[in-house]
This record gives sequence, structure tokens and C-alpha cells, in this order.
Amino acid sequence: MVKPKIICVTGGKGGTGKTVVAVNLATMFKNKGFKVLLIDGDVENPNTYLLLNGKLKNKTEVLYFLPKILEDKCNKCGLCAENCATHALLHIKDSIPIPISTVCSGCKLCYKICPTNAIEADLKVIGWIYTSSAFNIDLFLGELKPSEARSAVIVKTLMKKLEEVIKIDQNKYDVVILDTAPGAHCDVEELISQADLIIPVTEPTRFGKLDLLRIIELINLLKREYKVIVNRSSLLGYKDKFLLELEEKGIEILGDIPLDEDIVSSYCQGIPLMEISRNSDKNGAGYKSFNEIFENLLKWGEFLK
Amino acid sequence: MIKIAIPTYGNGGLNEVINRRFGRCDTFTFVTIENNQISEVKSIENHARGESGGVGIQATQIVGNNSANEVIVDFLGPNAANSLQALNIKIYHAPIGELTVKELIDLRLNEKLQLMTSANVGAHQGMGQGMGRGRGRGLRR
Repeated sequence: MVKPKIICVTGGKGGTGKTVVAVNLATMFKNKGFKVLLIDGDVENPNTYLLLNGKLKNKTEVLYFLPKILEDKCNKCGLCAENCATHALLHIKDSIPIPISTVCSGCKLCYKICPTNAIEADLKVIGWIYTSSAFNIDLFLGELKPSEARSAVIVKTLMKKLEEVIKIDQNKYDVVILDTAPGAHCDVEELISQADLIIPVTEPTRFGKLDLLRIIELINLLKREYKVIVNRSSLLGYKDKFLLELEEKGIEILGDIPLDEDIVSSYCQGIPLMEISRNSDKNGAGYKSFNEIFENLLKWGEFLK
Repeated sequence: MIKIAIPTYGNGGLNEVINRRFGRCDTFTFVTIENNQISEVKSIENHARGESGGVGIQATQIVGNNSANEVIVDFLGPNAANSLQALNIKIYHAPIGELTVKELIDLRLNEKLQLMTSANVGAHQGMGQGMGRGRGRGLRR
């Protein structure tokens, strides 16, 4: 089975332009006739559809384990409560434990260790997944229910959906772009671990550098290939110094994107800068830099239609 | 017979003042009332107080395991409130002031305490020793 090429846009720091890069990469592949899927894996703040002026459809619940105590089978031993890491089972001696659903992390330990099999797997909603489509780009998007902790489960559900789609039609997509949350948490790790190339997006500030080095540490742990994009590269004139610093550390650069008002206006319009139907300034600094990044990406690997 | 649990400092007891942080108190002082008279006083250490999370539930477990049917508390988080309610333990709110267990029991017996039905602080408000809102008030004054 031929897998589509998977590119993961990430970056450690928040607000560096991950989503803008992801949306425009998807647009450029689409412009060249590739079948593109964009997956928004920033499940705590899913907003990629806004940059594509899309509407969310096909809302599906993501369910996760919650213990249900079978009172006729429970011998009231309290082993489940004793071993629950989040203390989500309230046990008073000689009585049946009471699950406190808001604290349960869904680890299933209680379910597995109960000596009388008195715990049944019940389910609670921890989030949702949606699909959308705009400018001939398909979109999968995940949303974590506020106050729930298991963002990686939502992300895994999105990737499983991709797997199912490919199983039915292996030619459905040529390229899949993953857009991650900021940070180096397990939901980001899940997406990085499944990609052929990782593109961390950073900015030439001390914050940008620190968070970039942290995400690179994660990428190296997962033994993945990466190339960095420096966004807002003309910011305060630090570009050359910043690029040099990255070079000295042996960090490969895919390209840089200078500050450009046309990028900002495309962001506000909800139409990607690189979308053909948008009347973008083809001589603009942003437009040129995205084209250059795309050319470098095509040099990196072979993309099949 | 009613058995009242009150979060306290140090070794607890009738003359100790209430600790306003339910899940993170040092001890629970259990006072048994029979015929409107104190018949027994007992202190139990709160072994859960140093843990990072879930202390409200564990503290409730201590209260429940010692068969209290009422508590007198001040700041109560959502997990503790839900857990106490799941056990049908009555929750009374302690008024402002440095009140001892004895004084609080007298207020309870004279029906001067208000019943609480839900949490009055957010999760993790009892953590740390800072003097922010709802924190420093838990310290001994």
C-alpha cells in the first residue's frame, strides 16, 4: 500500500505561524494538482478552518473509558481506589467505590485489576472530530472538550480516520499536511511520529530559538527528519544572526518568510495567500518566499500523484 | 448520633482552630455528639495533604472511613464537594474568624451554621502557601 507523503508542521512556540504555513503548503500542493488533506491536530484550539473560510461538518463524538461499577459483582475490597493514580475512585470501607468522572484519566487500570471483574467499561465524551473542505483541500479537525486532558486520544482518532480513508481508497490523497499544537506534548509527539518530514516554524527571537531547540529535541528522540522555516524573518533585523546561529547548530533551513502585509490580509480574509483565485501580489515578499519554500520542499522528496 | 469532621492544624482536638483548606489540613478532628453533648473527640492525620492532586477525594475518604455524617469547612473545592455529596455527608460552612473546634461545635448545636451545596473555590485553590485570594486565609493567624 502506497502511503501519501505526510508533512508535519509544528514549532514548539505558539503564534509562530504554523497554521498559516500549513494552509499555504496545502494550497501550493493543490495548485500543482495534488490531492491534499489537511489535518488540524491543535485540538485545544482548532481553528485551521477559519483560514480556509470553511464550515465544520460531520461532527462525531470521541468517546473514552470511564469505570462503571457492577454492584452485584463488587466485593468492596477497594483495590481499584487504592491504585487509581488520579484518585478518581472514592472508596469507603465495606462499601462500593464511587467513580468521580471529572478526575478520571481513562487509564483503565481499575478495569484491569479488579479481582471480581466488577468494573465495566463505560464511556464519556472527551471531544469531537469534524470534516470540512474548502478551496479543493479536505480538512479533518479535532476538538478536545474543555477540561478534558487526553488531547493525544483526539489526535489518534484523527490519524485513525486517515488510515480508514486510505484503506478504502489508497489514491484518495497524495499529500497530507499535519498542523500541530504548540509545545512538545504527547499530542504533538503523536503527529511527529507519523510524518515523513517535520517542518518546525519559528521566529527570530530568543523565545523562538528556545522553543525550537526543544521541539528539535523531541524530533530527534523520535528519529525524524526535519527542516525549519523562520517566519517573520525580517523582524528587527535579526534574520542573518538567527540563521547563522541555526546553521552553526547544524539545523537545516527550508526557507524564511519576511513580514508582509499581504500575508496578514489573507489571514484576515480567510483565503490562503497562495490560493490562485486570490489576487495576491506575486511580487510580494511573502508570495515569493512561499514559492521558494515550496521549490525547496519538492527538491527534498518525490511527491507522487 | 452525629459525627462531625473538622479540618484542623497540628494534632487537632477541641481547642485547635479550624484549618480552612479542607483537602490540605494536617488533621481531621472528629467530634461525636450524643444527646446534644460531646461524647467523643478523636484526631486522624490527613495523609493526603501533600499530594499534587485528588486530595479532596482522598480527604473525603478519610472523613467517610471514620463514619462522619457531617463536616464543617470553609474553602471547599469541586472534587471534595462532589465526593462529600456522593457520600450524603452534610456540609456546613464555618463563619469568618479564628474559631476553635469547640466553638464551631457550639455553633452547630445551636443551629447557627449554614449548609453548603456546592464548591466555593476552584480546583487546586488550596495548593501552595501564597497569600492570594482563598489561599492565605487557610493559614493559622
